[in-house]
Amino acid sequence: MPQMIFDDTDGTLGLLRDSVATFATRFPGAQRLRQRRAAGTDLDREVWAGMAEAGWLGLTIPEELGGAGLGAREQSVLSEALGRELISEPLAFLAVFSGALLSEAEATVERERLINGLIDGSLIVSPAVQAANGSIAPIEASASGDGIKLSGEAHYVNAAASADEFLVLAAINDEQALVSVPAASAEISQRPTLDGSQLGKVSFSGVSVGADRVLAKGAAVDAAIEKAVASTRLALAAEMAGIASRELEITVEYTSQRVQFGKPIASFQVLQHKMVDMWADAEFACAAVVNACERLEEDDPKAATLAILAAKARAGDASVTVGRRAIHLHGAMGFTDECDIGHFMKRAVALNSALGQPEALRLEFVALERAA
Amino acid sequence: MAVQQRDWNAMPDEEFRRFFRNWLIENCPQELLFMRKQRPHYEEVKVFYHNLARDGFLAPLWPQEYGGMALNPTKHMIYVEEWARLGCPRIPDHGIGLTGPLLLHYGTEEQKQYFLPKIISGEHVWCQGYSEPGSGSDLASMRTSAVRDGDDYVINGQKIWTTLAHCANWILLLVRTDKEAKKPQQGISVLLVPLELPGVTVRPIPNLRQEADFCEVFFDNVRVPVSALVGEENQGWTLAKAVLGHERIFLGAPTRPEYALSRLQVLAEARGAFNDPAFVSRFAKLRLDVYDLGSAFERFAKVLRDGGELGPDVSVLKLFNTELYQRITEEMLAIVGEEARFNDDLEAGDTMIDAMNLYLDSRAPAIFGGSNEIQRNIMAKAVLRLPG
Ligand SMILES: Cc1cc2nc3c(=O)[nH]c(=O)nc-3n(C[C@H](O)[C@H](O)[C@H](O)COP(=O)(O)OP(=O)(O)OC[C@H]3O[C@@H](n4cnc5c(N)ncnc54)[C@H](O)[C@@H]3O)c2cc1C
Repeated sequence: MPQMIFDDTDGTLGLLRDSVATFATRFPGAQRLRQRRAAGTDLDREVWAGMAEAGWLGLTIPEELGGAGLGAREQSVLSEALGRELISEPLAFLAVFSGALLSEAEATVERERLINGLIDGSLIVSPAVQAANGSIAPIEASASGDGIKLSGEAHYVNAAASADEFLVLAAINDEQALVSVPAASAEISQRPTLDGSQLGKVSFSGVSVGADRVLAKGAAVDAAIEKAVASTRLALAAEMAGIASRELEITVEYTSQRVQFGKPIASFQVLQHKMVDMWADAEFACAAVVNACERLEEDDPKAATLAILAAKARAGDASVTVGRRAIHLHGAMGFTDECDIGHFMKRAVALNSALGQPEALRLEFVALERAA
Repeated sequence: MAVQQRDWNAMPDEEFRRFFRNWLIENCPQELLFMRKQRPHYEEVKVFYHNLARDGFLAPLWPQEYGGMALNPTKHMIYVEEWARLGCPRIPDHGIGLTGPLLLHYGTEEQKQYFLPKIISGEHVWCQGYSEPGSGSDLASMRTSAVRDGDDYVINGQKIWTTLAHCANWILLLVRTDKEAKKPQQGISVLLVPLELPGVTVRPIPNLRQEADFCEVFFDNVRVPVSALVGEENQGWTLAKAVLGHERIFLGAPTRPEYALSRLQVLAEARGAFNDPAFVSRFAKLRLDVYDLGSAFERFAKVLRDGGELGPDVSVLKLFNTELYQRITEEMLAIVGEEARFNDDLEAGDTMIDAMNLYLDSRAPAIFGGSNEIQRNIMAKAVLRLPG
């Protein structure tokens, strides 16, 4: 069955996979997702604490900053495994995105405080960097004393109600700054998501933060954002590759034991062909993520960016279409809330829509490739 | 009841269309138009149901002596089209569309006299108890049994996916009355069963949209008198198949894709998607698919209008229709970017579009009413006469 294939000489990747499998017996993904949905919350604190304890939140944060200092392969294997288990806390945003931003930030006391809290789970640090149309866009700001004053909104903010700190992009005249803003100073409104969580709109009306909360300025901000977007897209791609693979497996299992007309429905040729196509989609998704990890290890940033765009688009399409077909092959059972397969498909749609849907990513790929 | 006894078929088509549309505008409460729910419960649409019943518009195909309109196929088509165009809600229609026709064809005079008026008045709300946990596509393998005991049948077993069973009070039940029959199809009977009887348990099953539209129904030594039998014992399979009759064409009516396309259009206009040539191109494809589905539908409708019988080829409409519905709703999510992460409705100017609701709903029609694979199997054999 599909899986991302990497050399695993020191066994780290195997250990990561095993630790997710063990974690899932403690916190079964689908069950916790339903619980969180019923509670109407945007973060399962117990699961999050477990993730911190497992050492996953600082996986790719450099060792000198207190993280595990691992790379894209390890993050991808972790995300793939979480996808397979439908463990749906927003690790890609609260750990990968925020972790990348903070790792790139200036070495200040505030940076240290945030990064330590992020890694040990004691602080929920959520990026609040997207505009209503989904693009990464700064909030209007002005100088105020030695700090800055923010007025504006950020959208699609993960765990907005649970967050302690937001990482906010601010534009003061023409200069950008990355600042941390106490969550308590923002007004938050939330909407339910397809994957049983909530996404927030975060509004700041004249919120002042001191100079000590400025984490980066100018060109360094763009670099940090670029890094954060790329790593998060890759983590999402890996998670979706895991989802696609598991959707296929569940469907193969189900159709092999479901008997109609005196035989397992998996024995009907039409179903076999459909499942072969689903398998091919999942395989391609895994291969695309592996390719992106490998390109990242080379010294060609453009090739790496292209590979990540391709991987997110491929894995996104795969996880969503495999999910839709999986539901269909489950018959009416697939149309229930009780059956896990629907939750995989919904999770896939949600992740596929985060930080760029496939068509937008493909257009970005071609534009970047053609740019001299 | 001031039931209108008119010869609707004598009315010119366009006049009938105008008449019925105006009637709907006046009699369907505003707040029920374009309901988010695909299968509203009886209580929610009661007012509309009773308006239809009061004026004799509830049962378009029943004979007038039983309170129906006795519409010919052309008029019936107009009736269905206007209903959909105005966005009137679906009413619990198993009594009108299923139990009623079955009794009209195969019921005893006593059954007709007792049941038909109660359907028209809304006193009896019916559901369809065919599928079982082990018998979906292979319906003939069903096992829920009814055993004769004196003047009663004793029913044991379980049905599942029974739409709206939790707000119905009667179930049209397929049961096995002969376990020894040579072919499984031959030992099946149809029973009319009140859901309020001791031994019946109904449990709603939340669906993908988190709505409880369908249910499990359990039967534990449930007793009904032998008069609950429709037609002859062990002839239920033939009865159930025959009732579908020309209603099958409506599984392929373009109304669902048309509605979804109209929502896509509003959403696309609000989001400026028509400025994107790639979207326009995809939209054009969907638009013409809907348009051409209309032409194909007409091709079959003409057969009916000319007094002919529909063959197995009519299922092609169901395939095209259900798969088109899915493609349209997929496009809705494709144009809203990051917002496709939300579970609730999307803003489009001053209206709300239930894109996610439709996207999830569109998974169902390809499964029910004979899954699309089963339809293709049937057409491969019965239309193309392929070997095997
Ligand atoms: C929303 C909804 C409402 C419903 N309402 C009712 C109702 O009111 N009353 C009622 O009695 N039933 C109802 N049903 C049940 C419906 O009739 C069944 O879902 C349908 O018959 C399919 O059966 P199944 O779900 O058991 O799927 P299965 O038969 O298990 O099929 C699973 C998959 O295998 C495929 N498959 C099965 N056999 C073959 C084959 N020979 N060749 C190729 N592919 C095959 C199917 O196409 C499907 O994709 C409803 C279903 C839904 C989804």
